[in-house]
Amino acid sequence: MEVRSDEKKLKLQVKCEKISELRTQHSELLCLMENIKKTYRIGDEDVEALKGINLQIERGEFVAIMGISGSGKTTLMNLIGCLDVPTSGRYILNGKEVSNLSDDELSVVRNELIGFVFQNFYLMPYATVLENVMLPTIYLDRTTNDVEDMAMEVLRMVGLEDRAKFKPKQLSGGQMQRVAIARALINGPELILADEPTGQLDSKTAKEIMDILAKMNESGRNIIVVTHDQNIASYAKRVIRISDGLITDESLN
Amino acid sequence: MRRVILNLRIAVRSLYNFKLRTSLAVLGVFLGAFSLIVVSNLSESLAKKTEVEVETLGKNLLIVRSGIVRKVGTQTRLLSEATNLTIADAEAIMDRSPYINEITPAGNRPFPVRYGNITLTSVLAVGTTPNFTEVRNFHVKEGSFFRDEDNKNLERVVVLGSRVSEKLFGDKNPIGEYIYIYRVPCQVIGIMESKGVDISGVDQDNKLFMPLNTYLRRFVNKEFINNIYVQVLREEFISNTKKAIEELLRKRHKIKEGQKDDFTVIDLKDVMALKTQAMSTIAVLGRISSVVSFTIGGLGILSIMILIVNERRVEIGIRRAVGSRKRDIILQFLMEASFISLTGGMVGVVMGFIASVIISKLSELPFTVSPMGFVISFFASVTVGILAGIYPSKRATTIQPVDIIRT
Repeated sequence: MEVRSDEKKLKLQVKCEKISELRTQHSELLCLMENIKKTYRIGDEDVEALKGINLQIERGEFVAIMGISGSGKTTLMNLIGCLDVPTSGRYILNGKEVSNLSDDELSVVRNELIGFVFQNFYLMPYATVLENVMLPTIYLDRTTNDVEDMAMEVLRMVGLEDRAKFKPKQLSGGQMQRVAIARALINGPELILADEPTGQLDSKTAKEIMDILAKMNESGRNIIVVTHDQNIASYAKRVIRISDGLITDESLN
Repeated sequence: MRRVILNLRIAVRSLYNFKLRTSLAVLGVFLGAFSLIVVSNLSESLAKKTEVEVETLGKNLLIVRSGIVRKVGTQTRLLSEATNLTIADAEAIMDRSPYINEITPAGNRPFPVRYGNITLTSVLAVGTTPNFTEVRNFHVKEGSFFRDEDNKNLERVVVLGSRVSEKLFGDKNPIGEYIYIYRVPCQVIGIMESKGVDISGVDQDNKLFMPLNTYLRRFVNKEFINNIYVQVLREEFISNTKKAIEELLRKRHKIKEGQKDDFTVIDLKDVMALKTQAMSTIAVLGRISSVVSFTIGGLGILSIMILIVNERRVEIGIRRAVGSRKRDIILQFLMEASFISLTGGMVGVVMGFIASVIISKLSELPFTVSPMGFVISFFASVTVGILAGIYPSKRATTIQPVDIIRT
């Protein structure tokens, strides 16, 4: 008995140490990228889109990733959003290594941890606003009772609760993007990843959208915006510039 | 379940964009289910009708006929008469087989019949035993049938077929009246119920019935009879009993191996089967056409699903981005395909049901529902949908979110 309980204690201790080690390493970090490289094969040629990215994003941040087209910012966004895996390097998201996950495992990570907002909104035109918002819940493993209530809740957060039964084409661009934000929010993600969220919008509507994102950040959500627009980047607390596959500059706003 | 419903709701909305094409695609499945239901309901109706008809001729009945009978189409025709089937044969059959309930020997021959100044030149007189009514399921409507004593005492009593009675007496009550058969006066003691034309095409109502012994001694003065009606105890013994009777009679009639029989044993089920053969050919054709329709339906659904997958590339990419795994996509499109197919199939089932009600009304068949038809239609529709959905859904999984964003 003595021996066994000692063994148990030891195991427990080791486990605790491991957990606390992980905590001290990553707990405040949402994203940790170490020497991330990504190579595409186009025809017979290898094109290195990312040439060794080192990046740390802490919890509660509002980060803008800036770069001209061809700089590798789209590739970086795909990797951060777990839409793709790096050729080499380590990526830890929310305390979990995701650089070597399979296609299906990445799907689960995206479903639970990441909410996407795209430049072109990408709403299903034939489905209602409410159905569009509920889409990510179809793939949620944990069973939630009242998805419709939750969808109405996030629609309220973006101020569109009275448009639930509308079709996307009955909405303005800004409203469509707000629906997309609601869809990004519904599974309660750790990270909202917005790819040129205002690219299709006029400056007044763009401001509205960015205000919503800023408000989300104030209430504790992590937000990464990928953009080439300085005005949009100015909403973020930190701006990361990327050029030719490498991070060239970081600045705090 | 909630997810399935949400997915289907979205699918139905997207299909709404291709109303015409979708309905054309499911036309095959619709027709497949339709013809399957119609055919299986009708076959069931025919089987039931056959059973009812055979039952009206006499339950579990075998008919031994003297001479050789050939079936021509739906009718049986006597090719050659033999003169060696006797009452002794009938008794031997009864003694031999434990599976026989009753036997009724019968002889018949046409005679002129006269009442007052009305003469019928040729009425088939049937001499038989009193159990005829039970064995042939053919009963007396008015008066009574003759009894065993009448048979034993060669009484000159007759029971008229309803048409004979009508022709001779009109509205008058014939019971107790005397009619002349050939030159013999006989007393009418009963009238048979109306039965119509039997399976061999003979009008059952244009006959008259008298005791067998009266018929043999007083009218034909012969020892041989024409028919022995055999009532078998239970349906499953019929074919064995038929064989046993054939064997016995060959032995009694001293027919050697290789020689032709001088009698025929008829199983009425066989005769009926012949009658319904034409209909069962239609049933087979119907089944073939339903298989063909289901196949065409499958191809239709295959093409509409490929179209749908192409039209919904963005949706698939977004679904992948927000967390659907490849198998979720496969499942979704398999479900959509089988849903489309099942919808078409169920509409086909309903229409087939209505059509078979109408057909059975028009053709005076008893309406029957074949549960098998429903079960097969259901599973065939779902299976066709799933099979047709495999390739398109595999194609859908090749779409990655990185392909569709930032185009």
